[in-house]
Amino acid sequence: MFSLLARLFHYFRPSKVVKTMFRSLNITSDPIDEVSLLRERRLSLMCGAVLVFSGIVRAEEKGEPIAGIDYEVFRQMAEHQFNRLFDTMESNWPIESVRLVHRVGRVHAGQASLWVELMAPHRQEALAAMEWLIAQMKQVVPIWKHPFS
Amino acid sequence: MMVSVQFWSYLADLAATRTWEVELTSGCTVGALLDQIYLRFPQLLPMRTSTLVALGVEYAQVTDVLAPGSVISLFPPVQGG
Repeated sequence: MFSLLARLFHYFRPSKVVKTMFRSLNITSDPIDEVSLLRERRLSLMCGAVLVFSGIVRAEEKGEPIAGIDYEVFRQMAEHQFNRLFDTMESNWPIESVRLVHRVGRVHAGQASLWVELMAPHRQEALAAMEWLIAQMKQVVPIWKHPFS
Repeated sequence: MMVSVQFWSYLADLAATRTWEVELTSGCTVGALLDQIYLRFPQLLPMRTSTLVALGVEYAQVTDVLAPGSVISLFPPVQGG
């Protein structure tokens, strides 16, 4: 009986499932509403790790006090480069979902300029992918900071 | 053929413009256009080694060949986050 079931499973097992990472990218001049973002979270039952990173504008830049940062973006290219990074991330880690919000325009000290959420089956891949994504973003996504007092 | 040049961040301040339209001969490369840009905007020369160059929405190589209507962007190192 067992061998019959095993044989049936062998022949009728599901073919390899091609998973597509959910992605959401928002480059916005609106404040980051973390409560709404958390409410909109779609958690899969296969996700054992949800990692959220918030980048907050500090009240100093290069040792000088500032009131905040004006973020300038080359939007079309930034969206394209973010999506390229998401493609690479999806190839390298089993990330199920990425949601990223980046502020542009005037952001006061104490406010979030960046919010990133990754979901993955395990924490190791989520942590590694998060570190990689943010480091790469700072290399290739055309966004510039202009501190103001 | 006409191509557009865009300047971003403090390069726009230094160039005193955000855009520049230029007429080039067919087959012109990004590298040849950069030579013309630095002749027209010599104040950008000190930043030449750190300046990033994009053709459309992709980072460009100096050997990339321009087409009519191409948009080239020059900007300083990026700083998102």
